[in-house]
Amino acid sequence: MKSAKLALLCAPALVALGCASFPDQTTTRTIAEKMVSEAYPGMPAALTQRSAQDNEQRTCSKIGDAKLTSQEAAAVVQSSRAAIKYPASGKLAGDWKVGAKLAYDGGGSRIVGGKVEPRKENGGSCSNCHVLDPRETNAGNVGPSLAGYGAQRGNSDAIVKYTYEKLYDAWAYFPCSNMPRMGHSGYLTPEQITHVVAYLTDPTSPVNRK
Amino acid sequence: MSEIRRSIAAIALACVSAMAFAQGGAGDPLAVGRQMLAEDNPGELWVDRGKTLFHQKRGPRNATLEKCDFGLGPGKLEGAFAQLPRYFADTDKVQDLESRLLTCMVEQQGLQREEIIKTRFSNLDRRSDMEALVSFIGSRSNGMKMDVRLSHQKEYDMFKAGEYIFYRRNGPLDFSCATCHTEDGKRIRLQDLPNMTESKQMQAVVATAWPAYRGTHSTVRTMQHRLYDCNWQMRLPDLGFTSDMSVALTTYLNRSGNGGVIQLPGVRR
Repeated sequence: MKSAKLALLCAPALVALGCASFPDQTTTRTIAEKMVSEAYPGMPAALTQRSAQDNEQRTCSKIGDAKLTSQEAAAVVQSSRAAIKYPASGKLAGDWKVGAKLAYDGGGSRIVGGKVEPRKENGGSCSNCHVLDPRETNAGNVGPSLAGYGAQRGNSDAIVKYTYEKLYDAWAYFPCSNMPRMGHSGYLTPEQITHVVAYLTDPTSPVNRK
Repeated sequence: MSEIRRSIAAIALACVSAMAFAQGGAGDPLAVGRQMLAEDNPGELWVDRGKTLFHQKRGPRNATLEKCDFGLGPGKLEGAFAQLPRYFADTDKVQDLESRLLTCMVEQQGLQREEIIKTRFSNLDRRSDMEALVSFIGSRSNGMKMDVRLSHQKEYDMFKAGEYIFYRRNGPLDFSCATCHTEDGKRIRLQDLPNMTESKQMQAVVATAWPAYRGTHSTVRTMQHRLYDCNWQMRLPDLGFTSDMSVALTTYLNRSGNGGVIQLPGVRR
């Protein structure tokens, strides 16, 4: 902290001397966070709030090759795990046909002109990053292929529960992975997640058909 | 004849996403399409209109943009894009090309800031002067190498802030730029994603976009639009035009493309 203050005091002097240099971490954070807070002029506060980070997002924003410490990873896993909610019905595998629609629906919650697109519910956006039905070629590869997910793992209660939790908050198993915390953020409802679980695990789902 | 030309262009455009990062040599089957696009880039129309707009007396002050300083002196456009964003003493800010154009259009031509911002991106109902001017000025650096320098303290600050924001996860989907842009060979559906931590790819990306003609948009889009569009996909609010956050990201990314040979406007999906 002391050195950050010192750096701030010295910066103008350095500029005068022609010795400008990269700001330290604390200064960088201060400058950048101010920029983020001013990046959305005229937007409703409820929408601008989306750019504010929660603790886990902050932890998961390592710059460059910086690694998560084991304590940080454990903290993310713990808070993610503690926040998982289950559907009122208690049934974790829903209707795979509903899940199929969700998996290939990449829309929802996007903002244009300060307004959220009008929709009944968000899509799951799964195929943006994952292969699901192996016959569908328009699929991304940011995440691993999930073709044959259930065929490989079965659909025991343990697998269904794991899959539900993984979709609800992937960081409970893989802290800071690229996978969005679909349930944690409320982007998908617990019921929607159960349908995607079924799409992945049901033996009759196209994901698992040979 | 023009029908044929148009269909060839359409087919070639459809190939753009696939070819964008295919590091092809002689054996690259997409090289043909790439060559076709280079010869028949609709973006040239935006360059022409931008040139006319640049030299036209406009606004309440009836002034051209010929006295606008893009960093190399008033009206000097050759090589200006290659060094942007950079620090400008008169505004005491680091500015990208669009931010600088906005400054000159307001201060020298007396145009309304709010009006310019309203038409910053074209749509089906209206053209954007900004898209045309950026195409023209960008093209004045063609053949030169990207050369974003850091010397003023605010330039160092912008670069580091841009890097910080690149890795900053936020929004309902927990995304940062880095989520999609730090590995080779990744795609969202069939859309290739450049690895922005890899300098060879960045040289190719930065020096040929943005500005670039987007086939699916039927217009030239700018870097400000690219960032706005990424923010939209990330479910974030409308990114403020020429906001410091946008200039910080552009500083970080453009500098990562230093050394790339500029050919603007490019062509993209």
